[in-house]
Amino acid sequence: MSRSTANRVSTRALARSHSAERTLTFLLGLVAVLAGAAALVVGQGWLGEFRARRPLLDPIAVSWLAGHQLYARIGAVVLGVLLFVLGLWWFFRSLRPERRPDLALDETPGAELTVTAGALAGAVQADAEAIAGVTRARARAVGTSAEPALRVTLWLSEGTDVRRIWTDLDTYVLARAREALGLDSLPTAVCLELDTTGPARVR
Amino acid sequence: MRFLVRFLSTVLGLAVAAGGALLAIEVGWRWWQPGRAPLIVPWERWREDLAALPWTSTSVRVTAVIVLVAGLLFVLFALAAGSRAVRMTDPADGICVSTSPRALARLVGLAVRAQANVTGASVTASARKVRVRATSRLENEEQLRPRLLETVATVLDDVPLERRPKVSVVVDSPKDRR
Repeated sequence: MSRSTANRVSTRALARSHSAERTLTFLLGLVAVLAGAAALVVGQGWLGEFRARRPLLDPIAVSWLAGHQLYARIGAVVLGVLLFVLGLWWFFRSLRPERRPDLALDETPGAELTVTAGALAGAVQADAEAIAGVTRARARAVGTSAEPALRVTLWLSEGTDVRRIWTDLDTYVLARAREALGLDSLPTAVCLELDTTGPARVR
Repeated sequence: MRFLVRFLSTVLGLAVAAGGALLAIEVGWRWWQPGRAPLIVPWERWREDLAALPWTSTSVRVTAVIVLVAGLLFVLFALAAGSRAVRMTDPADGICVSTSPRALARLVGLAVRAQANVTGASVTASARKVRVRATSRLENEEQLRPRLLETVATVLDDVPLERRPKVSVVVDSPKDRR
């Protein structure tokens, strides 16, 4: 894995991607805003008093549609099917849980070696919790099976030197994981949190 | 906010799918069986209602306002659901480190509260800005503010952040009110 790819994969592993959901919600919201605003503008008579007094289902539009009945029907059916497919894809995409890919170390037929996502996460978690100052750790495999990555969340106790943890992580935990798995690189995203259940502060 | 957008997105996806399916089914049904009544949606009655409803009517305006406000909310939710993580510099290739704004704020808050003569402090942090509002009974803003700015700067020096946030410190002291 090249350097920039590793960086890209690890950046992507930072948090679950919400971009598709956000974009679609944003676009639909934008359409609703524009439609509502347009209806208000027409109703206020800013596009002419005549237009404002016409009914919603304008006879002119209806007769035009009746004149092009075949095309209108084909268009409506195609639009309906497209919306249906898009909506279903959108629905299942939103419901889909985040993937936990297994790590395929050796793919030669007959000698496949796979580390399950749970085993990898458990090993890294145990190592990370051994660092002084880390009260809790959670690790999980994320990404795709072609580009697996690791997301580690560390809860630090109060008064821990963040910079030390930041260096220990690579030299101690992740280096060990890479060594054990025989990997050159294991893209990793680390989220540092302060633990709220630390010892009470005395003043 | 992220959960809300995910939920909203699921519901909207389902609504779009249902709408599309109904449209295709009704149009196809009318095409295939021209004389028969609609299958699911009573669109013939809706058509008569809509043909009698002018754009100026109150119900149209109310619906338009509701749609407008709902759309605005969707847009706001979608914008607010962006990642707020505070990035730190990468310790090595293929490793990236981030922290939450809350953790950063707590880190700063601990240091500020540990300073002498600070009665209380509230801190909000983001990747761009750290805001500290401290209260003190014994010192006024002029005395305490430089010291707190320095404290926050030391804390930020210890955290290898990718971009250094701007710091603003406000001291709320009864001494300033006299």
